[in-house]
Amino acid sequence: MEVALSPAQIEALHLSPSLSPASTFSCPSSPGSSSSSCSDCSLDCPNHQHDSSSSPRSSSSPRSSSSPRSSSPSGCSSGSDGTRGCSPPLDLCEDAAVDLDLVIDPEVALKACHEVLQKVKLLKVEEEPEILEKCSCDTVLVKEKGVLSDPPQPMKLTCQQPCNKGSIKEEEEDEMCPHPRQPNNDQSSAAAKQSLLLRLFESKLFDVSMAISYLYKSKEPGVQAYIGNRLFSFSDDEVDFHLPQLLNMYVHMDEDMGDAIRPYVVHRCRRSIAFSLQTAWLLGAYSSDMHISTQRHSRGTKLRKLILSDELKPHVVPADAYLSPSKRTHQRSKSDATHCTSLGTSLKRTASNPKVECGYDEPLRLTPQREFIKSLMGIGKRLATLPTKEQKTQRLISELSLLNHKLPDRVWLPTAAFDHHVVRVPHTQAVVLNSKDKAPYIIYVEVLECESFEASGVPARIPETRIRSARSADNLLPESVAITAEQRAGSFSTVPNYDNDDEAWAVDDIGELQVELPEGHTSSSDNISQFSVDSITSTESKEPVFIAAGDIRRRLSENLAHTPTTFRRDPEDPSAVALKEPWEEKVRRIREGSPYGHLPNWRLLSVIVKCGDDLRQELLAFQVLSQLQSIWEQERVPLWIKPYKILVMSSDSGMIEPVLNAVSLHQVRKQSQLSLLDYFLQEHGSYTTEAFLTAQRNFVQSCAGYSLICYLLQVKDRHNGNILLDSEGHIIHIDFGFILSSSPRNLGFETSAFKLTSEFVDVMGGLDGDMFNYYKMLMLQGLIAARKHMEKVVQIVEIMQQGSHLPCFHGSSTIRSLKERFHMSLTEEHLQVLVEQMVDGSMRSITTKLYDGFQYFTNGIM
Amino acid sequence: MSQVEKKAGLLRRTSSSKKPLKEKVVLMYDEIFAKEDPAKNNPRFWDELFLMKVNLEYLETKLECLDGDELMKTKDNVNSLFHHCVQTLAEEHQIKVVNALQTLCALFRGVHQKNKSASGFDIINMLMGFDKAEHRMKDLMESLDSLLCGEGSESLKALCLKLLLCLVTVTDNISQNTILEYVMINSIFEAVLQILSDVSSRGRHGYDAVVLLALLVNYRKYESVNPYIVKLSILDDEPTLDGMGLVVGQALTEYNRQYKDKEEENQGGFFSTLTSMVGSMFIADAEEKLSVQTNEAILLALYEAVHLNRNFITVLAQSHPEIDIPTTPTTPVPTTPTTPLGTTPPSTDVMNSSELPLDPNLQTSNLLITFLKYSSIVMQDTKDEHRLNSARLCLIILTCIAEDQYADAFLHDDNMNFRVNLHRMPMRHRKKAAEKNVPSRPLVCAVLDLMVEFVVTHMMKDFPMDLYMRCVQVIHKLICYQKKCRIRLHYTWRELWSALINLLKFLLSNETVLLAKHNIFHLALLVVNLFNMFITYGDTFLPTSNSYDELYYEIVRMHQVFDNLYCMVLRVSTNAGQWKEPASKVTHSLVNVRAIINHFNPKIESYAAVNHISQLSEDQVLEVVRSNYDTLTLKLQDGLDQYERYSEQPKEAAFFKDLVRSISLNVRKNVSLNTLSQDILLKEFSTIS
Repeated sequence: MEVALSPAQIEALHLSPSLSPASTFSCPSSPGSSSSSCSDCSLDCPNHQHDSSSSPRSSSSPRSSSSPRSSSPSGCSSGSDGTRGCSPPLDLCEDAAVDLDLVIDPEVALKACHEVLQKVKLLKVEEEPEILEKCSCDTVLVKEKGVLSDPPQPMKLTCQQPCNKGSIKEEEEDEMCPHPRQPNNDQSSAAAKQSLLLRLFESKLFDVSMAISYLYKSKEPGVQAYIGNRLFSFSDDEVDFHLPQLLNMYVHMDEDMGDAIRPYVVHRCRRSIAFSLQTAWLLGAYSSDMHISTQRHSRGTKLRKLILSDELKPHVVPADAYLSPSKRTHQRSKSDATHCTSLGTSLKRTASNPKVECGYDEPLRLTPQREFIKSLMGIGKRLATLPTKEQKTQRLISELSLLNHKLPDRVWLPTAAFDHHVVRVPHTQAVVLNSKDKAPYIIYVEVLECESFEASGVPARIPETRIRSARSADNLLPESVAITAEQRAGSFSTVPNYDNDDEAWAVDDIGELQVELPEGHTSSSDNISQFSVDSITSTESKEPVFIAAGDIRRRLSENLAHTPTTFRRDPEDPSAVALKEPWEEKVRRIREGSPYGHLPNWRLLSVIVKCGDDLRQELLAFQVLSQLQSIWEQERVPLWIKPYKILVMSSDSGMIEPVLNAVSLHQVRKQSQLSLLDYFLQEHGSYTTEAFLTAQRNFVQSCAGYSLICYLLQVKDRHNGNILLDSEGHIIHIDFGFILSSSPRNLGFETSAFKLTSEFVDVMGGLDGDMFNYYKMLMLQGLIAARKHMEKVVQIVEIMQQGSHLPCFHGSSTIRSLKERFHMSLTEEHLQVLVEQMVDGSMRSITTKLYDGFQYFTNGIM
Repeated sequence: MSQVEKKAGLLRRTSSSKKPLKEKVVLMYDEIFAKEDPAKNNPRFWDELFLMKVNLEYLETKLECLDGDELMKTKDNVNSLFHHCVQTLAEEHQIKVVNALQTLCALFRGVHQKNKSASGFDIINMLMGFDKAEHRMKDLMESLDSLLCGEGSESLKALCLKLLLCLVTVTDNISQNTILEYVMINSIFEAVLQILSDVSSRGRHGYDAVVLLALLVNYRKYESVNPYIVKLSILDDEPTLDGMGLVVGQALTEYNRQYKDKEEENQGGFFSTLTSMVGSMFIADAEEKLSVQTNEAILLALYEAVHLNRNFITVLAQSHPEIDIPTTPTTPVPTTPTTPLGTTPPSTDVMNSSELPLDPNLQTSNLLITFLKYSSIVMQDTKDEHRLNSARLCLIILTCIAEDQYADAFLHDDNMNFRVNLHRMPMRHRKKAAEKNVPSRPLVCAVLDLMVEFVVTHMMKDFPMDLYMRCVQVIHKLICYQKKCRIRLHYTWRELWSALINLLKFLLSNETVLLAKHNIFHLALLVVNLFNMFITYGDTFLPTSNSYDELYYEIVRMHQVFDNLYCMVLRVSTNAGQWKEPASKVTHSLVNVRAIINHFNPKIESYAAVNHISQLSEDQVLEVVRSNYDTLTLKLQDGLDQYERYSEQPKEAAFFKDLVRSISLNVRKNVSLNTLSQDILLKEFSTIS
């Protein structure tokens, strides 16, 4: 669609008075036209400027002025200056966008691409060795290209491009110089425009977000293929953020798109187990909306099968080979991995029985983790059948204790931010969360952090009863193993033709020693510690000691008062106590009780397992929230929101990263029986204390953030059970089950823009307070910042709409309405008025109260 | 045609003319017990013998009939028989193996039956000959080991275990069974473990394996190093330990279920009201109800596991579904009531499945809960010897559990809440509590409930002093843990306090009777010290500040009891006599309680006088208590939170000796019953071969 500037735009640019170059670049794009060079450039405007000014070309000046429209609502210099002219009305812009489609000539685009690539090809031949060194993925990549995607010739070459950007750039510039731009000329060759596009693609500003955007909007196979290849040059993390979009396009868009994306996905799958699984899960989830008959043969399903069949193992003597030494040292991996294969559906209990020595089979890459996840989901399904919370919790604990026994090695929690191995599930800590008919539950998982999930050795299993020795037993085992594994891996990569058999022998011995030694050690130190504890217990002096009864009584009540406010245990709401406990405290407590607790790389993670719920909307919300968060951070608006990670595993199951140290407002009210303000005072201290003021500021900043989120995304079902309050005073909205076009049962409640109760206002210090004004100010700033980057947000949603039957996309106007809520056409004054109106309306809104009442009566949520 | 007729006629005639026809095998037995070597005339004698169906009865009675001298004369042949039995075990022909196993059974039993008085060496000599004994037994144990661990028939494994059980229980006192010395040297521990660790074999043979292990551990426990004790104590293989736990849990659950069935039977219908009315007059009625026999063998196994193996403690908390509800129909095995300590395994279906069955009605349970329920049933009635022993063993196990740090940790784990429906004895002055109302609480509450229940229900003429001591000690140990770890358990301590005060009251009112048999001062001291724990350390473990006030309220309310106790111990301690010392200890321990009573009583009286109230309400008393703490001084007493750790030796040695003896007797009885009816087994093999 909008691959290049439309003539109209270019014209407009030149008609507009040229602004100072510094400010022009960071101007936000106008709605509807993510014009190629400017829309997303604002990311790092100083950089860009430097770039363009330093370039020797004469064409730099027209180019720099070409980007922004003077009429854009806010300059980058400051958001306060709202006096500039209005941007054209929305519909007008859209027309322009439609025009664009007509203007672009696909063939020309292809040709341009081709030309560049030819050059590169020449270059490549010269630089081959260099490239090989630079690219880590080179061989695999090229091979794949040939085998899998059978791409048009240029593609094969483009994939090299990222590796030697610098040289290409030169090349490109050479090519371009002979064609000085004639911007004002309507007949300027399409090729020039295309090269402009290419120039953009080559520029440093071209980020994943833009790539995805062009990938989605371009109908041009050449461009698609180019971007598909270009993906290789982005860092994994960046692409991972947009993975849902990428895969949704793969599943639901045309063949060319599939061909463009596939190589990248396959490549990543080969390299990473985690990526493989995530991709497989997402593919499954996004394919599920299709009709069953088509689904079976769909591209997504096929790729999913391919991934799950584990044919995408690394070709070249992969990392696995290096792994074998470290794996061999552990009985755990030996027995488990193989048992998993043989048993298929059920995980096999770990046999620490040395008799059962299984040979070292080719490890199945994906099976352990899949089994792990499967059993977690199975637990969720079974829990749902139980009638009471109490039974559910009990059942959960016993199921997890079984799982603990059968825990396969080499499993991980996909929501974690670091590489690790799961070693234990402290089953008694798990609780069932509040839900009417499903049974989501939160589990805590002990993990050992490691260098790399796939390469590091699996930690040895420690029996439960070793807890007592944990403190004294030292940490020599896992570290030394990890190091040896690493060293070995290192030495191997340089000496590829090492005899594997010899190596296996040597390590076997080491492994045995390592396993034997600490065990003997622990058992001996054990007894000592046990005895010493017993003998010490209490030794009192012989002479009589007198104490006052009053002191005992006082100490008792003081002790009770000093313990941080905990919630009462409520069989109907088992999660309240567990979530109220400060995270630090919980970690300390669990660490003390864990046989692995003494290890320095021990960490505690938690995850919510949801079974029977579609988390695709949650994932979408997470992406939008993260995007907005980074926008606000970039624009330095101190809004606070907390996107929590979502893992979609199928269209009806997944995992959620819990928000730490947070309980729901419902739980706060029910347990404390206080108003929100009084609760703040109780938790943080009186009005003037710093703690209270900090908490209040946190509250305001988070309130403003979520008010905007709720408005922009039209988040509904905002009862107090869906709003959390963390220990620092932030509120966090959870449960994005009703966003955009969907609302619960369409009862017509919640017509207000967002939820703002008088209780909230009380915490902010009342309607006339400074903090309340700050709240409104923050919202205004936030809205201005958000609309500046609207495209980035809208694009996330728009791509996901493709082929989706999610309720949030119900109706045809979802995207249009979303765009409208950014109010591109309003001046900042108008926006201010709008914010005032929304706040006013929400506060007065009787429906909020009504909805809370409704929830109280139907679900018992206060 | 005619020929057949003839034959039939012939047969009939011979059978009628002669005395009952002797089986071929019997003839062969006779040949063995003749002085000649049976193989002399018939070189294939031994081969043939083991192809024949064993006549255990005959063989055993034959051995019994012969007196010592006669038997000595046939020693060579018996040795030879034993030798060939052992040899045959290694053969592939399964019928032969079965027969050899059974013959061995008969040999062991017959020889022992005869020689009750004879020393073990004679028996070894008679069976194997001194010179070859070591060798023979080594072969035997090795064969059994390979049979048990091999892939062979399950029935064969069962028979091996029966043989071992038979061997272990041939003497009343296991420690006098000298043959076991060889079993010590040639350990079959690993084979037993393997049976327990494997799901399917655990289901079929778990029970026998566990009982065998429990018995073997008790061989010369106190005199020598028993390798089974050593091995069991260092065992840390989780599947095996779990397996053991499951077998024990299964057996106890089965018992609980049977008891419940019986109870419901008795209570059903119109008569229930009648019987409960009449029942209150005749306590015998309750007794009849409890005719389900206890299972001490399995309880002993549980004890040994808990006592010897630290890792087993985790198994106690291992969750599994409760099997209380008779989802599986009762198996037709003759467990009860014909075989009191049946060695037949209970129904095995649930044990076999590693997955938890999905049934919303099924409450999750664990071994500890099952054990607590079992204890609550067993403790209801301690009149007969078996039950008294069972109850004692239960309390000993609880003592071990209460001492274990890890066990304490999960007992007090706030996240592991369970409803434990303990069985409560029907009593005159209380209704049978509605069972469903038990809230879900940490497990320690159930333990405390059980202890309180025991304290309340056993104040009888035939006072089980020993059990009371253990019971109060368990409570003490739990409170020590709470104090140490500052765990504020939300438990209705009031029930405990009033139960303990009532116990003191009972001791006082039956002083003369009890003193004749027991040292009641020791118990009184323990009880008073429990109160001292609450008084001086209450700030570390009481759940609310109100509960401390309530403690004072309770003491003041029942001050009469403490006053009387003080008078009594003072009196005894001033008189010279055997109780002088212990009584004076109690006097000292009462310091704080008396201080409280003397401090608050006048205050309360004056409060009543000032406000002109004759009867103060609880709240008013509590008010007085609260406002007068500051003028009260208490004395900190020594060693309140210290206790003597449980040790089996020397105190409990005699008890366990007797217990093992009675278990041996019962196991022997059952083994004989079961091994004799091996027709099914034989059929199975005859079809195979």
